[in-house]
Order: sequence, then C-alpha cells, then structure tokens
Amino acid sequence: MKALLKQKEFSVLAIVIIICVILSFVSPVFLTVGNWMDILEGNTVIGILAIGMTLIIITSDIDVSVAALTTAVAVSIGFMFQYLPDSWFSVVLIFLIAPLIGMLLGAFNGILVSKIQIPAIVVTLGTLNIFSGLVLYFTNGNYINSTQFPQSFMAFSNIEILGIPILIYLFALVAVSTWFILKYTLIGRSVLAIGGNAQSSTRVGINFKKVKMFVFTYMGFLGGVAAIAQTSYTTAVDPNGLMGLELTVIAAVVLGGANIHGGRGSIPGTLLGVLLLAIMQNGMILARIDTFWQNVVTGAIIVIAVSYDEINHRRNQAKLANIDVKEAS
Amino acid sequence: MTNIKLSKESVLGLIALAIFVGLSLFTPGFLSSGNINSMMFQLPEFGLIALGMMVVIITGGIDLSITYIAAFSGVGAALMMTNGFGIFPAIIVGIIFALACGAFNGVVVSKIGVPPILVTLGTMVLFEGVILAITNGNAISGFPDAYSLIGNGYYLGIVPFSLVIFFVFTIITGLLLNKSTWGRRVYMYGSNDLATLFSGVKNSKVLMKVYLYASLLAAVSAIIMTSRYNSVKVDLGSSYLLQSVAAAVLGGTNIHGGYGKVMGTIYAVLIFQFIRNGLNLMGVHSSLVDVVIGAILIAVLTLNFFSDKLSRQKAKAAS
Amino acid sequence: MSDYILEMEHISKTFPGVKALDNVELKVKQGEVHALIGENGAGKSTLIKVLAGVHEADEGGRYLFEGIDADIHRPLDATLKGISIIYQDLSLFPNLSVAENIYIGRDSNKKPWTKINWKSMKELAGKALDELEMDIDLNKRVELLSIAQQQMIEIARALAFDSKLIVMDEPTSSLSSGEVEKLYRVIDKLKERGISVIFISHKLKELFRVSDRFTVLRDGQFVGSYDVEEIDEQQLIKRMVGREVVYENNTQKAAVGEKVFEVKNFSKEGNFKDINLSLYEGEILAVTGLVGSGRTELAQSIFGVNKADEGTLWLNGKDLKINSSEDAVKQGIAYVPEARQTQGLVLEQSIVNNMTLPVIDALRNKLKLIDRKVEKELTEQYIKSLDVRPSMPDLAADKLSGGNQQKVVIGKWLSAQPKLLIIDEPTNGIDIGAKTEIHKLLRRMVKEGIGVIMISSELPEVLSVSDRILVMSRGRIAGELNTLEADQEKVMNLALDTEEPEDKRQPEGAESTVHQEV
Repeated sequence: MKALLKQKEFSVLAIVIIICVILSFVSPVFLTVGNWMDILEGNTVIGILAIGMTLIIITSDIDVSVAALTTAVAVSIGFMFQYLPDSWFSVVLIFLIAPLIGMLLGAFNGILVSKIQIPAIVVTLGTLNIFSGLVLYFTNGNYINSTQFPQSFMAFSNIEILGIPILIYLFALVAVSTWFILKYTLIGRSVLAIGGNAQSSTRVGINFKKVKMFVFTYMGFLGGVAAIAQTSYTTAVDPNGLMGLELTVIAAVVLGGANIHGGRGSIPGTLLGVLLLAIMQNGMILARIDTFWQNVVTGAIIVIAVSYDEINHRRNQAKLANIDVKEAS
Repeated sequence: MTNIKLSKESVLGLIALAIFVGLSLFTPGFLSSGNINSMMFQLPEFGLIALGMMVVIITGGIDLSITYIAAFSGVGAALMMTNGFGIFPAIIVGIIFALACGAFNGVVVSKIGVPPILVTLGTMVLFEGVILAITNGNAISGFPDAYSLIGNGYYLGIVPFSLVIFFVFTIITGLLLNKSTWGRRVYMYGSNDLATLFSGVKNSKVLMKVYLYASLLAAVSAIIMTSRYNSVKVDLGSSYLLQSVAAAVLGGTNIHGGYGKVMGTIYAVLIFQFIRNGLNLMGVHSSLVDVVIGAILIAVLTLNFFSDKLSRQKAKAAS
Repeated sequence: MSDYILEMEHISKTFPGVKALDNVELKVKQGEVHALIGENGAGKSTLIKVLAGVHEADEGGRYLFEGIDADIHRPLDATLKGISIIYQDLSLFPNLSVAENIYIGRDSNKKPWTKINWKSMKELAGKALDELEMDIDLNKRVELLSIAQQQMIEIARALAFDSKLIVMDEPTSSLSSGEVEKLYRVIDKLKERGISVIFISHKLKELFRVSDRFTVLRDGQFVGSYDVEEIDEQQLIKRMVGREVVYENNTQKAAVGEKVFEVKNFSKEGNFKDINLSLYEGEILAVTGLVGSGRTELAQSIFGVNKADEGTLWLNGKDLKINSSEDAVKQGIAYVPEARQTQGLVLEQSIVNNMTLPVIDALRNKLKLIDRKVEKELTEQYIKSLDVRPSMPDLAADKLSGGNQQKVVIGKWLSAQPKLLIIDEPTNGIDIGAKTEIHKLLRRMVKEGIGVIMISSELPEVLSVSDRILVMSRGRIAGELNTLEADQEKVMNLALDTEEPEDKRQPEGAESTVHQEV
C-alpha cells in the first residue's frame, strides 16, 4: 500500500479526483455521463498521440512532429476519400492505409534519429516543417469537408455501442494494446530497459538502434490512427486544426509521470495526464472561466509538475549514493 | 603550418554567398532595390531571436518560450503606449517584461535544475496564456508615429534603422561570447557542467544570465516587430520559434552544447532569408519554403554525419 | 579436454598510444574461484573487457572457452556462451522489476514481438533467488533495493543464465561486513555447483578467504598465477608492486610548522560523520580508505559542491563560510577530482580555456574583456613549469595523455594560487613515469607554502608521498598513522575496520589529536 502511495501515478490520480470533486460542486453538469463521453471523445486524438509519445519519452527522446504527421495523414485520408466508393470496404481500407502512411513518416524520423544519430529534437523540428509545409501546399490551407467523404465513413463515425461512441473504443484499444506491448513483449521491455539504463541494455545485448527505430515508427503508426480519429470526430480535415498540439501531447505525458531523463512512464500514468488536462479544460468551460486563463493554468501546472518531479528525482539519486555510515561505538 | 581547411562558419558563409549570387543571376527582381530593401527589413527581427536561441543552445538547453517572451514584451510596450506613456518608458517596460520571463525560466532551470526543454515548454504555454488573458486574444495597435520609425525608418537614409540595431547586438553578442568571462563560462558549461562546477564556477549564475540575455534579445526583436507592424498580438513572431532553432543548428551550434558561433548563426539566418525571398520571387508556394528549410536542416546534418564517419575511417586507416 | 574452462594466452590490447595489455595470460579451472589482482592501472578491467567481448584483443592471442575457440566479438556472444560479468557499477535496470532484471538478456536474440511469459520468468527468477537463499519480492522495482540486494540480483541473473563462469569486479566495495560474509557463502555455493568465479578485489585479506588461485597483473603484464597454498599476503603484495618497489617509502621527517587548515565536527547524513582533521604547514596529509569510506564525499564537502550538514572549516586563522565551489575557490581552496575526464577537465576545450577557468575574472583588461595575451602567457608559464606535453596551449584537452591531463588540472589550480589543495586519487590511470612527476610536484607545492591533502586508495602511493595518514572507514576517521611508522598492513587494518585484532592496535595511531576526538 505504501508503495502504491509513493507511485507517481497515484499522486496524479489524487489530483484528478480532487479536481473532479471541486468541479462537481461548481457545475452540476460535470459529473453527468454525457459530459464524460464528450470529454473522452474530444480527447481521443490527444490521448492516442500521448500514448505513442510515452514510449518515446521513456527512451528519453522527444518528437515534436506528431501533430504535423497526424495532419499529413489526415489530409491523405481526405484526398483518398475523393476517390473511394461509398462502401464499408473504404473504411476498412482507410484503417489499413492511414496507419501505414503514418508508419512510413515515423520511420523516416526513426532512421534519422537511430542511424544518422541526429538529436531527436532537431530531426522532428525539421520534419515538422516538412510535413506541415507539404500539407499547406497541397491543401492551400483549405478545409476538406464532409461532403466529399463516403457515407460509410460518416456512418462509422456515428456508431455508438452501448451508448458509447466508437472513438472511445478505438482509444481504449490503443491504450490496452500499447500497455500489453510494454508489459508482455520483448520489444516493449526493451523500450523500458533502454530508458532505465542505456549502458546496461547494451551489456545484456539489446539493440539500441532497433528500439529507437521502433518507438518512432510506432509513434507514426499511432499518428495514423489518430488521423482517422480526428477525421471522424470533426468530419472534416482542417490543415491547421492540430497546430501546436504536439506541446499539449508532451505536456500530458509529462504530467502523467514520464520523465525526460528516461525510464519513467506508463500507459495508466499518461492516461491520467491526458485526463487531468481534459477535465481542467472542461471544468473551466463549465465554470465559465475565460478560456484565455486555461493556458495560464495549464502552463503553471506543467512548470510545477516538472519542478516537483525534478526535486524528487534528485533526492532519490542522492539517497542511492549514500554510504552506510558507522554508528558511534 | 598553413591552415587550408576553412572553418565550418566560413563554408557556410560561402554557401550563403553562392545562394545570393545564384539567386541574383537566375531570379529576376532579386537584386532590385525594393527586394533588397524588404530583405533588410525582415532580417533583424528573426536574426535577434536566432542569436538568443543560439546562446541558450550553447549551454545545451533550448528556449521554446522565446517567441512568447517577445510577444509578452511587445504587449507590455504596446499597453504603455496606448495608455499615453512615451516611447522610452514603453520600451523600458517591454524590456522589463521580457527580463521577468527570462528570470523565471532561469530560476527554474538553474536553481531547480529542470531540463530546459520541459521548463520552457511549460512557460511557453504559461506566457501565451498570460498574454491571452491580458489582451483577450485581440491585437493592440495604434502607436505613436515616432515609434514606427524604429522598424520602418532609415539610418542616414539608406540603411534600415532596425538593421543597425541588429548589427549592434550582433557585435555585442559576439563580444560577450568570445571576450567576456561570462561567455567563456557559457561555452565551458555547455561542454561539461560538472567540470565547471568543480572549477569554482557558479553554474546557476551563468545559466541565469543566459536566459536573461536571450529574453533581452527577444525584447529587442519584439520592439522592432511591433514597430514594423504597428500592432501586437499573441502570436507575434511565433513562426520564428522553430526557425530560430533550425538557424542555430544549421549555423553549426551543437544541440548538446559547448559550441556555437555568432557568424555561423548569422550566415544561417541569411541563407534562410535568401531562400525564402528567392523562392517567393520564383512564385513558389510560401508553404513549400518551410519544406525546403526543414529539408536543408536535415540534409546538412545527414551530410555532417557521413563526412564525420568518413574522416573517422580515414583517421583509423592512418593509424 | 583440459580441466581449464577459460584459457587466455598471449593476450595484448593496444589503445592509441597505450599498450594496456602486453602478452597476458589468464587460465581458470572449472569450479575454482580465481582472484585477479593488481594495482590500479595494471590492466585488470581491460582484460575483463576482452573476456566479455567489449574489446577485441590484438591479433595473436589465444582465447579458449571450454576448450574451444571462444569466438566472442560482442557482449551478447559472451553471455550466450555462459560468461557473466558483474560490473562494479552493475548492469541493472532500476525501473524494472526484480524478475525482469534477472531474466532480461536471456532472449535478446529472439524476435522483438516474442511474448513475455511472466509466469515462467518469475519461476526461473524465483528459483535463482532461492538458490541464493534470497527472499526478495519478485515484483519489486530494483531501484528500491539496497546495493547488496542489487548485487545478488546480478548473481541470480548469472545463475538463471546457467553461466559457467562469473566475473565479479570489486563486488564487496560497497557492502557492509555482514553482507560481504553472505556473498562469500554464495560464492562457496557457486563453487559447489561447478561454476567458476573470477574475483577482482583490492582487499587481499578477503581474497585469501575465498580464492583458490591468484593471477597477478602489473603494468599490463602477466606476473604469474599461484595456488593459494603456495603464496602468502606479503609475497602477493611484492608481486603486485614489483620486486623493486616502485616508490620508496617516505623516510624523511617533515619539518612541520603551524596549523594551516582545520576541519571541525564535519558531518553529512549518508556521507560521513564527526570528521575532525588538521593540516600543518610543510606536510602532506593523506586521507585513505576503501571505496565507499566517504573520503571523496568529505573532500567534495570541503570544496562546497556537496554541502555538509554541520561542522566548520578554518583556514589560515579564519573561519570559512563555504556554500559553493565558487566560495571555496575564493577562499583559496582547490580540489582536483578523481574523475579527471568528467569533473576535472572540459575535454573538448583547449588547454588555455581549461587552465584559466578558475582565474578568468582576474585576466580581464580595462574594458572588462578577457586579455588573450595575458591568458596565453600564464598558460605557457604553467605548461613550461609543469612540463605539459605537447606544449600547445590551443590543443583540446582530450588529445593529451592521462598524465598530461592531470598536469593541466593541477596547473589550473596553481594559477589560482590556492592556500589549500585537495587532490583526489592524483595518479589514477597515469603511467609510472608521470606518477613520480606528479608526486614531486605535490612535494614542491608544499615547499611553496600550499597545504596539500592527498586522497588516495593506492597504499604504496600513500606511504611514499605523505607525512601523515588518516584512514577513513564507513564515513568516519578510523585512525591516524605517522607515515614513518606505518605500513600497508596497519593502514589496511584500520580501513577494513575489522573486529579489531586487539594485538594489532597500533599505539602510534592513538597519539593524534584526531583519534581522541573520534
């Protein structure tokens, strides 16, 4: 129990619960099922991307191209829709092609980071420019709206099972399978191992470059999935819609307890991080706080969270180095 | 011993020159006085932010909040002017606003020791929020005519005044980095912060000044931008954020710290400026310019990687 | 098949500029505990790295494992063949569970999407821990374990791998005496199972307790291999140090003057406690002790980078207030750290930049800018007086040999004209010639009126260079010896803090002011 209390995920959960309690007093709407469905559905894209980002941050890297990558895939989906027949086949095809495009783009980041050894922040800054530039060039900044979408896809977006929108199932599927990968596959454990201690990982024979390649490709894959979610949620493709979202995604992951020093981070933690940002935003809307203050609060929370984390990290490091001082005789 | 090998920066300078000559030859209108003029007016605001970013990167950090510091500073100055204060107090307030942001970053980075990328990620959102809360997302505009001279006027009738300011700050940055003891410590810290600590250097003081200096340059850039556009909004200069990192890195600054030269960054800024402008004149879609800049950044670093590899193999073969 | 599980012969390893191993031999029998000993820099770790596949030996060596060519080119090869290395800094993953840490690496050559079977993983890990009679929760994250437990996890990992040969590099350096005894029992058990162990340690006493055979290396060369029965501690020391003793023991009585520096009641939780020491004009004070005795932590606290919880410092008649290394330097305290390459120097930067770093503020001209000319002159002066080679001020520090790098670090502090210099492991990883030079330099500094405290774990060095020796053990000063009356054994007894073999208690150790206060 004590160990549980000490876990970072637990403190995030505590904060989430406290905010929920406060908000339920502020607004009677907050605790309704409908509101929670809205919160979850509205944060599916951020959530899926944050799950991918968690793996990258665990290996102590970063990817600032995620939002541009997702938009690039979404735009590709939009273009493909103009040629796809109105049939369920199209939806299936999109589910095959979109993640594949995402993987290719992610693998491009991965090669540059692992093989060419360019720092991830620089690589992804570069590809951010490239992806978003190409998107704006091909779309001219214009929306691709739902009139061009196959009816089957529109039907897909409206599916609800047991009253829960399909996107929430998609989100859950991504979360569970990524959790499974981390816990139950070799590659997942290698991700954690590299983040925990890079030197030890090469000593036990883990291929560092392959694992880096994997995390960026997987991020791309999830970017593709997120693109489908985004297209389905907004029933349109907005070339500028996700601009700057990468920072929110990173913020959610960091709030969820992942640490840029590597090795720390979990899927439940990240989900809590996403949830924390989501309910704060939702709560401020419900409390009719000016939307402009949301950034102030979010920014302040990020700074406080990373500072608190750093202070803890240092304290633990210092403790590890301690000597067993002899008691006076 | 004659040194035939050119420094990284000189090579970059030659590339900038080649691009300039190439564009002059093949792009009609590139050399026209109007075009040269507009380039001279655009250069300073971006150049100043890139220099600020470079100084931070030399310490192995990054400042993602730098353009919002600029915007915040611009808002400070604008509020003063729209409330009837003079230009001079307005500029002072603008600078103080920026320095306050820089100090905040500096304290969290140097005293608490949080990685700069995380701190500035947070403060970027924070500063953006503060600006939004102050301005309600609206633009503030309508400054005294004299103020607009800073960004639009000429010195001696030919050189844009803003270019002169940029030139002065380039020299100051160069002097500080290469000749001041603070600059020496910045490089030493960037290479190995433990060794500086064990040499009696107060690392936190060095870092604090780095974030303050970057925010000062952001403030100067903000004054030029607000004066040139005669208005300020939350996204003032935000497109320069990633570009400034790209310029510093292209200019040879080591993203892990310890190396970076003013001239390298200036050449990289010039290259970006020429390419942006040249491609525009050629009628290339403006968004493709971003693609080209991203591609250049990655291509240069990839080439670096292979040339390093080659020279290492050569060294191995020689020994 | 011979009864040797490991046969390494004619092994040489050349690094640019250094021959780290020169025609070395190491043969280990099945089921024996084989001690590999030698002073710092004798080549033990290089040999182990060759064994482990981290380095490849030069052409011409012979490396057989279980009687056939080992064919080991990377760490994984060694692991798969049944060789486990337990490095001093351990190869664990703090964020993973005990079970995962034990099991990891078993399937490094499997497909990435292979499913992990937690049940069989825990079974195997549990079995390995059972064999070691360890009771540790398999789900616990390793970072929550003590160092001793972490070490057991490594041994359990080796067992789970069915390792035939386990190398332990200084395994006892951070263990308490009870934990050490437990480790010995585990090693005995490994032996019973026919597993061979290579044991690297500086502590000769414990080696006689656990080892069957010794292989001695000195300066990268093979000295010999001996059965435990045919050799005693003194002979072993002689072979480690060399027949002609490298350093003469100090026999000169120092002309000791006034007290220059004093540490009073210095304590820091988890580092050291109740430290009192004095330094007198004209003497070199050595502080020695095993790894983990707190000597480096103490030095860094005096220097202000690892602030002490309580206690005061006194230098040349003044009480000092030191909150940072900057304060320390301003007050005239200099510290040459043990980790020369990571703490002592900014390797990528030039000799000039390194040498003038602490004094750069004083080298400014009227415009408050660095005066390059003065800076260069000062550097050249120290390059000359310390004989740094090559004498090129603009050369990057990483292009220098270890000895010359150390001279640059010392030069850096000489330029700051300190009143007190604390030098931590002054000759670690430096070749013999340069060592003597550094030692002479320390003596010269004392003559010039700088107080010198030398921290060293190399006993011959301590006995040769210092005038007085303080021995630390588990964060406290265990005793003080006058160098003229000290020998390795006396120092070791204090450092090991053994159950005081009463007869060995040296009366001269009790004379000191320091000892009485402990």
